[in-house]
Amino acid sequence: MRRQLRSRRAPVFPHSYRYRLDDQDEVNQNYLADEEEEAEEEARVMVVPNLEEEEEEEEVKEEEEKDEEEGQGQPTGNTWWRKLQIMNEYLWDPEKRMSLARTGQSWSLILVIYFFFYASLAAVITLCMYTLFLTIGPYMPTFTERVKPPGVMIRPFAHSLNFNFNVSEPDTWQHYVISLNGFLQGYNDSLQEEMNVDCPPGQYFIQDGNEDEDKKACQFKRSFLKNCSGLEDPTFGYSTGQPCILLKMNRIVGFRPELGDPVKVSCKVQRGDENDIRSINYYPESASFDLRYYPYYGKMTHVNYTSPLVAMHFTDVVKNQAVPVQCQLKGKGIINDVINDRFVGRVIFTLNIET
Amino acid sequence: MLLLQKTPRIYSVELNGAKDMKQTDKGDGKDKYRGLQDNCLELGKNQRKEHLTKEIDLDDHKLSNKELETKYHTNIVTGLSSTQAAELLARDGPNALSPPKETPEIIKFLKQMVGGFSILLWAGAILCWIAYGIQYSNDKSSSLDNVYLGAVLALVVILTGIFAYYQEAKSTNIMASFSKMIPQQALVIRDSEKKIIPAEQLVVGDIVEIKGGDQIPADIRLLFTQGCKVDNSSLTGESEPQSRSCEFTHDDPLETKNIGFYSTTCLEGTATGMVINTGDRTIIGQIASLASGVGNEKTPIAIEIQPFVHIVAGVAVSIGVLFFIIAVSMKYRVLDSIIFLIGIIVANVPEGLATVTVTLSLTAKRMAKKNCLVKNLEAVETLGSTSIICSDKTGTLTQNRMTVAHLWFDNQIFMADTSEDQLKQTFDQSSGTWASLSKIIALCNRAEFRPGQERVPIMKRVVVGDASETALLKFSEVVLGDVMEIRKRNHKVAEIPFNSTNKFQLSIHKTDDPIDKRFLMVMKGAPEKVLEKCSTIMVNGQEQPLNNTTAEAFYTAYMELGGLGERVLGFCHLYLPADEFPETYSFDVDAMNFPMSNLCFVGLLSMIDPPRSTVPDAITKCRSAGIKVIMVTGDHPITAKAIAKSVGIISANSETVEDIAKRLNIAVEQVNKQDAKAAVVTGTELKDMSEDQLDEVLTSYPEIVFARTSPQQKLIIVEGCQRQDAVVAVTGDGVNDSPALKKADIGIAMGIAGSDAAKNAADMVLLDDNFASIVTGVEEGRLIFDNLKKTIAYTLTKNIAELCPFLIYIIVGVPLPLGTITILFIDLGTDIVPSIALAYEKAESDIMNRKPRHKKKDRLVNEPLAVYSYLHIGIMQSLGAFLVYFTVYAQEGFRPSTLINLRVEWEKDFVNNLEDSYGQEWTRYQRKYLEWTGYTAFFIGIMVQQIADLIIRKTRRNSIFQQGLFRNKVIWVGIASQIIIALILSYGLGSITALNFTMLRPQYWFVAVPHAILIWVYDEMRKLFIRLYPGSKAGGDKNMYY
Repeated sequence: MRRQLRSRRAPVFPHSYRYRLDDQDEVNQNYLADEEEEAEEEARVMVVPNLEEEEEEEEVKEEEEKDEEEGQGQPTGNTWWRKLQIMNEYLWDPEKRMSLARTGQSWSLILVIYFFFYASLAAVITLCMYTLFLTIGPYMPTFTERVKPPGVMIRPFAHSLNFNFNVSEPDTWQHYVISLNGFLQGYNDSLQEEMNVDCPPGQYFIQDGNEDEDKKACQFKRSFLKNCSGLEDPTFGYSTGQPCILLKMNRIVGFRPELGDPVKVSCKVQRGDENDIRSINYYPESASFDLRYYPYYGKMTHVNYTSPLVAMHFTDVVKNQAVPVQCQLKGKGIINDVINDRFVGRVIFTLNIET
Repeated sequence: MLLLQKTPRIYSVELNGAKDMKQTDKGDGKDKYRGLQDNCLELGKNQRKEHLTKEIDLDDHKLSNKELETKYHTNIVTGLSSTQAAELLARDGPNALSPPKETPEIIKFLKQMVGGFSILLWAGAILCWIAYGIQYSNDKSSSLDNVYLGAVLALVVILTGIFAYYQEAKSTNIMASFSKMIPQQALVIRDSEKKIIPAEQLVVGDIVEIKGGDQIPADIRLLFTQGCKVDNSSLTGESEPQSRSCEFTHDDPLETKNIGFYSTTCLEGTATGMVINTGDRTIIGQIASLASGVGNEKTPIAIEIQPFVHIVAGVAVSIGVLFFIIAVSMKYRVLDSIIFLIGIIVANVPEGLATVTVTLSLTAKRMAKKNCLVKNLEAVETLGSTSIICSDKTGTLTQNRMTVAHLWFDNQIFMADTSEDQLKQTFDQSSGTWASLSKIIALCNRAEFRPGQERVPIMKRVVVGDASETALLKFSEVVLGDVMEIRKRNHKVAEIPFNSTNKFQLSIHKTDDPIDKRFLMVMKGAPEKVLEKCSTIMVNGQEQPLNNTTAEAFYTAYMELGGLGERVLGFCHLYLPADEFPETYSFDVDAMNFPMSNLCFVGLLSMIDPPRSTVPDAITKCRSAGIKVIMVTGDHPITAKAIAKSVGIISANSETVEDIAKRLNIAVEQVNKQDAKAAVVTGTELKDMSEDQLDEVLTSYPEIVFARTSPQQKLIIVEGCQRQDAVVAVTGDGVNDSPALKKADIGIAMGIAGSDAAKNAADMVLLDDNFASIVTGVEEGRLIFDNLKKTIAYTLTKNIAELCPFLIYIIVGVPLPLGTITILFIDLGTDIVPSIALAYEKAESDIMNRKPRHKKKDRLVNEPLAVYSYLHIGIMQSLGAFLVYFTVYAQEGFRPSTLINLRVEWEKDFVNNLEDSYGQEWTRYQRKYLEWTGYTAFFIGIMVQQIADLIIRKTRRNSIFQQGLFRNKVIWVGIASQIIIALILSYGLGSITALNFTMLRPQYWFVAVPHAILIWVYDEMRKLFIRLYPGSKAGGDKNMYY
């Protein structure tokens, strides 16, 4: 109760504080905090008679003086010990039941205040995010300029763009075969026939209607890849030193190649003798991505969309030598010479086939 | 010993040598060995003297005046001619010591390079290079990003170092130029005229006049002295005043009495001397090299900033290390963790803080414009926390333009004309008493008109002499005509100048009456002192014995005039009997071989020194600013009280104990002391007071006037105030004030009236001697503190917004929202001009309405400031910036839900078909480019909200609308700079990918605007709360008012 009668006395600075102010910042903080917390209580207790206030002040003064005497009574050499004590007292003051210069009550008040503050901030940010989502369609991205022009990836891909294998040692190429087989599972003819429609080639497969309607996808059958489908040759030509490499163009929502001029793939030796690659077979034979696979409507509605592929069958490549190969996309709206990005519209890899 | 409690301030570079000597001498010679035998001390002193003597080759003290004249080609009466002086000046150079060697510039520069946060950034840079080293050893083709980052960090340190160094050099220069603005003056006779010239222009052979309080401007051989005493402690260590005369008394030039040394102070009396050495050839100049070097004391601003730097650096390092550990335990690679560590350090360090020094030098300049010369920058800030001002009355509170207001003779009070341009006096001048009085007024006066002003109206002429003498001179010039002529006819044979112990001035003249061979002794001074010496009084031209009735009439008149707040002087004379004092009689003022009693009292004359018009206002300001103004004056209590009342030091409705007693018609003892608000304490009462009693007086009365105090008592008063834990500012002008000036927390010397000694001891010089300037100074001092707070709060806020991206990046695994380089562009790009702009912020309306800052309690960077900046505005800023970031990513295809834990895949170089929320596939470089767009977006987000932050930081308590949005134009320059820099970075340099900025769609610039407005509204609410519930916890004064 007695503490409740105290009041702020910031302007009054009794002499007994001087020592502490000079030397002991922590204690000083304590003292200040004391004041704080009292002020807070005062707010609730309302009006305090002046006389009692003064009495209280004196009492406090005496108390502080006592403290001071105690402080001085200790051996002076033990400054570290004293500092530790002060620190300890700052962390937990059993007498005033305060931790970090606040009482439990003060702490809980602070925590409640901060809880509400941050709760309202969270509400604000939630509102903002909600508004943000309102402006963003779930089916189509707002902008696609950063993801255009499309990038290119090849399969098999094993963390590296160097294809080193020895024809006579299956261990060196087996993982390519496994990777390709895995990748082509989604292209199995049966699956494609079951899930997707066979749409007319040579034109866009445009599906009007509401944005949120599910879109149909065009079939891209594994068998389109012929010799590289792994159906006839389960080793994709790796066992004969004629590896198949599949090329996939990155999906971009709404991307449409030029009408009548599908995106073509062409590979050649990037550096060195052009004759290192004597022949490449492309499957499908047009070496292009048919227009019927475009546009892409996004994964929400275009669930079964199957990315078209172009397989490159390197049937006659110089052996026992690293051959850098560059496969480029060609067509309108395709850029394949960005200096910084070596995967936009092109891909560079090396073939090193040992016999 | 009190003198030693505060290190002497360096007045100007020339004096360093002398000052340091003083310090070492006293320190070694007295402090340490005081407890030991005194012999030791004597020995030390003697040794030192011998040591000095060996080096000094000086024999001018042995020469006679004639020999000196021939040696230096000069004339004792007419002085050098101007042409001669100019030639000598060209030959010998100015009379100044060459400045001592300072700390080499390179050392200063290097100090800036490793001080404060620089060391952290260096650590960051080195970590970068180490990281690259590790990368390189693993993979020879690793990117050079880390090398660049390290280089950028190093560059930042070097640039900020250069900036800080440049600022320091600039402020040092400002300080140096200030000390040149208070040059030492010397009164010199050249071309037979007295002239005041800068002491630097003195040459050998010049005849100079010095008086009590002056610093001796060069080594001089004394030719004429009058009770002259000097303080040689700076040279020889003898602290007791040494008397000086014209006689050659000792072979040793340091011992002989007829030489005065450069830089020593004349304590009292007057002297005329011939300059025999100037500049480096003076004794002090020869030994100055023995003790040079300036002690570098830390300024309070530095003291305030240092813990702040430590705290922020501590926070940076601990968060960095904490997250390093978290990152490592989250299975991040150590290398990546090091990069995080660097990012966190860079985010935490306010790189732009070097601008703080700009604030300081700006303020110093601004104060100089307002007639406050600050001798060291710390003084500005100390002045802001002043809680008691002990002010002089004369010149500070008043105009220091004494005007004769009343005369009393023949038992009558006459009014004199006090108007600005008085041409003649109209009172009755027929009485014989008036004839005598006017003669005393004209003769007993040392003031002289500056030559060459015959055409100037009398009241506007420049006079050499103190205020009341000037008033008397002008008065008699108006009444009698050519006073100088009268003085010439009545040749002065001896004189005792006025001093505060005697409180009278006396001179003895031959009369202009050729028949009357008697000497006329004339005296003026404090009326009661003068009356003490009188036995007769002149009424209607007739001498009458002084009896009780006449004495009572005198006291009535005296009290009446004094009660008007006027300075009353008593005048008396005595014709010395010709038989005792023949024409050849030699008067010796030291021995006083003439009568000093039984004089004839002639009359009283009172002068008014009207208060300066700006003072009452300034005092009201002080009062509302919680500053107690105490008047300390040597004047009569009644005068003091009257002036105190007229300027408001004693407010209109307060009464002293005596007033109450008088009003209630009871004895003073019966009055309840609690009722009295004001007190007038005289020097005599003060003398009898114990320390406790003085403390009681100082605490129990809000309005106090100390009257009739000696300068020594001023020191006691200052100490008393300091016992109340007050920050005390003291004004002073005399040489005797210097202990008090030094003892005070801030000593303020008068630029016009102040003696050199006072200016040396002071921290600040008031160029116009005006009290109102002190109040301006207080305001500026508080303003600089406030503005520093605002700058720091502004700078700290965005650190959270810079730090959060890293923490979210590590914990949630989103693509990095803000790059390290981008952080540097905020800290050193967009935020620099705004943080300087805050230094131009005008004061808030309450600046002079709040209590003075408690030096130890109210820190620059306190808990509320940090908490509010970091946990309130900082968090809000982060949210706003994240909103921009998420908007950009979401609109490009990566919704926030997709971003979570995307980091690992996102950063894999070989993944070139990363799927976004719409099933689109991204190459690595496309992602990187998007990431930079994210950086730019986050950057813009922070920038937009920093504009709001800048606007809210304009005030700490007032609403922005009270403060006015457009009063500080520089803020708008700051905002414009922020926007322009951001535009250039985003659009101008968008193609330079090394800086990680990309073109941003214009709409993203506005995403954070609602948040900026929210910040502003939130802060307005906080301020409103503080204003509505001042001091309450709920109102947040303690938690929210920084």
